[in-house]
Amino acid sequence: MNTLINVGVSQMGASSSPSVLRTILGSCVGICIYDRMKKIGGMAHILLPNNPGDGVAEKYADSAIPLLVNRLLKDGAKKEFLSAKLAGGASMFKFNASVTLGQIGERNVEESKKILEKNGIPVLEEDTGGNMGRVIDFFLEDGRLKVKAGGQEKLYYKV
Amino acid sequence: MHAHIQQRIQGIINNLDQLPSIPDVASKVLTMVNDPDISFKAIAEEISKDQAITTNILKLCNSAYFSKGKEISSIDRAIVTLGIKEVKDIVIVAATREVLNKIIVGYDLARGELWKHGIAVAVLSKKIAIMKNKKAVADIAFTGGIIHDVGKTVLALFVQNTFREILELTQARQIPFAQAEKEIMGFDHQEIGEKILSKWKFPEVLKAIVRHHHEPEKSPAEFLPIVSIVHIANTLCLMAGIGIGADGLYHELSDTAIKTLGLSNRELEELYRDMPQILDQATAIL
Ligand SMILES: [Fe+2]
Ligand SMILES: [Fe+2]
Repeated sequence: MNTLINVGVSQMGASSSPSVLRTILGSCVGICIYDRMKKIGGMAHILLPNNPGDGVAEKYADSAIPLLVNRLLKDGAKKEFLSAKLAGGASMFKFNASVTLGQIGERNVEESKKILEKNGIPVLEEDTGGNMGRVIDFFLEDGRLKVKAGGQEKLYYKV
Repeated sequence: MHAHIQQRIQGIINNLDQLPSIPDVASKVLTMVNDPDISFKAIAEEISKDQAITTNILKLCNSAYFSKGKEISSIDRAIVTLGIKEVKDIVIVAATREVLNKIIVGYDLARGELWKHGIAVAVLSKKIAIMKNKKAVADIAFTGGIIHDVGKTVLALFVQNTFREILELTQARQIPFAQAEKEIMGFDHQEIGEKILSKWKFPEVLKAIVRHHHEPEKSPAEFLPIVSIVHIANTLCLMAGIGIGADGLYHELSDTAIKTLGLSNRELEELYRDMPQILDQATAIL
């Protein structure tokens, strides 16, 4: 059974092969982590880079990533087999440079990479930045990521 | 520019029958609410004539977003409990759902995405209006939010065939998507939306919101604040991926709108941070 799990804004989802995790991204980043041996994985849909401390953990890159990694380890994943893919982090086409809201997409990507590196998880593929909205499907049967943007589909296979 | 596409769209606009329709009660209520000589009782009677919509309205009155706790079982009670402006907004939600709650092909919006987008923009517009001391027009901001992209329902079919060209023009000339729509097809979704609102006999302020939501600076001065509210709400919802379609974020975040409302960087980021909450509230209305 190919269960489709929709992951909402500032939510997290984790499951095993052959489930598919889906989300829709603007400036948010979808962080997809996969254990290629156990064929289990998870997705975090983060809205902002940094948790002020008292926020919902799933909403921010710096708190969502450790939470997701721990969840996967608890489900039986091994750290040495984990790898990540990133998508999203788009920005408005035009905005005044002094408006910080315009930089949130980039900041989300940057922080996600930083926290993944800190946790020792390599980022193997990314489809980030630009001005596209993205619908992403993360297939836990083999860890591939399908990114649909601007009427076209791209597939990322590295795990 | 494709002259034949422009002609086909012009044909649709000229023949009002081909533009989407909504129940008559919507425009009647919009007019009656603004007429000080018309009683709430008369408005309640007008709404109650339409059985189907009355059922939907009562359901919405008792939804988590609108409910004040007490069960509401008649339009009369709804007006007393929620106030006439709130009931007017609910009538618009019930009346426009069928037109907006569908697949929008050319913009790659799955069933329900444009509807969810409109409702989320409505809820956020109302929140911004209240936050910026414009409570008196919060209900209009809400209505405008629901319908701001209604033109997409008609233009989608044509965007489907010209999408590649529109996107290429957007990138080659660094112009927003809607501007490229107009250059390729002769019309953008804002203009079509305004025509639809004329057919529905909606007031000028709502037409201004639909027409100028991507370029508030072009709005008549009297409507600039409310157009700016919907512009900011639309931007934040798209950034959060709510109803983001094939046109993505190929839109401008207007400095005029930010300055008109006096929004600081911090306020903008806080509104964005609270998007999950807005989405929860919107979901209660869907
Ligand atoms: Fe629009
Ligand atoms: Fe919109």
